Amino acid sequence: MSAKQTTTSAAFLATLKRDLLIAIKKKNDIVNPFMFFIIVVSLFPIGISPESDRLREIAAGVIWISVLLASMLSMDNLYRSDYEDGSLEQLLLSPHPLFFLVLAKNISHWLVSGLPVVLVSPLLAYMLNLPAQAYGTLILTLLLGTPIMSLIGSIAVALTVGLGSRGLILAVITLPMSVPVLIFGTLAVQSTLNSLSPLGYLSLMLVMLSVAISLAPLASAAALRISVN
Amino acid sequence: MWLWFSKLGSPKWFYELSGRWLPWLTAAMIIFMTIGLVWGLLFLPPDYQQGFTSRILIVHVAVAGTSLAFFPLMFVAGTITLVWKMKLADMVAKNAAILGAWFSFVTLATGSLWGSVMWGTWWEWTDSRLVSMLFQLFLLIGVISLRSALEDSETAAKACALLSIVGCINVVIIKYSVEWWNTLHQASSPISTDSSSPNGPEFWIATLIMIVAVYLFLSVSLILATRNEILERERRSQWVRDLVLKS
Repeated sequence: MSAKQTTTSAAFLATLKRDLLIAIKKKNDIVNPFMFFIIVVSLFPIGISPESDRLREIAAGVIWISVLLASMLSMDNLYRSDYEDGSLEQLLLSPHPLFFLVLAKNISHWLVSGLPVVLVSPLLAYMLNLPAQAYGTLILTLLLGTPIMSLIGSIAVALTVGLGSRGLILAVITLPMSVPVLIFGTLAVQSTLNSLSPLGYLSLMLVMLSVAISLAPLASAAALRISVN
Repeated sequence: MWLWFSKLGSPKWFYELSGRWLPWLTAAMIIFMTIGLVWGLLFLPPDYQQGFTSRILIVHVAVAGTSLAFFPLMFVAGTITLVWKMKLADMVAKNAAILGAWFSFVTLATGSLWGSVMWGTWWEWTDSRLVSMLFQLFLLIGVISLRSALEDSETAAKACALLSIVGCINVVIIKYSVEWWNTLHQASSPISTDSSSPNGPEFWIATLIMIVAVYLFLSVSLILATRNEILERERRSQWVRDLVLKS
């Protein structure tokens, strides 16, 4: 092989840019999970109770669970189209460490599917009557938690990318793993509501995020190599 | 050492060795199980607080303790599958997932039987151990369903190995985060040989016998299931044909 033409960081940025461009061109993949999130949240007051007192209690949990469900839905197109058109194989063949390329794909996926959900959450929190003092904590927990979900979900997507009909297997594998994130996310909001400091829970989530960033792409890369052979 | 290790990977060798072990393990299992069950369920004196309900715990604690062994077992088997590509490890892992799901279910069932009397409720979200066992069951079901979804057996082996490793790490994280979530959980009672403890030593001896019995039961069923798996996967090989023709 001739001298390397690109550095790893250039490959990282190129992958990131490519994925963002594709996402912007295919608007459905961004819009549908986003709409799904808003619709699911709006169903809870109808299904449980429109009373503002009761909504206040469940608001954080409802938003968090809807975020998890929406991230399951958007996860599906993380590697699939790349697998179908063969560019995933090219990614595996590239001389750069797969770790960084997978990380780039995960980051771009989070930017188009996780971030919009985080940005719209204060509006939904308002509609669910969450007290204003908890908005900041809710946004922070979502900012820390949704990337963790993208990183963990990426492992499951990579494992099942070769399957013709995946159906709900992705959710069956990933949702149980989301328990810690859900617990700390809702506990942080809960403690803000009780006028306690949520800092402990937030730092725990930060720990989980850093562990996920350093380990999950490794597992995703290994899973991609297993699925694509 | 390495010769022994690579021998262990050969299904034929394992089949012959386990065939020799199996009668002894089964006999030991029957003895321990009979003593544990008959003594524990019929003759053990009632607990000073819980009455006869405490006898459920003999079975429950043994099964619960054993069901915690499955994810570590699958972690080891998964590592062996990924690193040394040993077929046997995958055969064990496949059946360990199914058995593990069943053990977790029995743990939850016996636990809620006991809870229905002692706590007056079949299910209690505030008990962290119930909840983390439930999620262990879900994770095991995830591994099982991933295997059934993947058709190519080699891909399935590696994929499930990876998922078991990730799952094992996750079970630990889930366990601790659920405990944090619930400050109400009860601590496990330490084993006490102290004669001043209200129940005397019978209680933990019976539990200990039952734990040994359940571990033996786990080994026997895992070996039986793995032997089945070996015969099925190696059905085209000569030694399996000879074996079938002989019997």
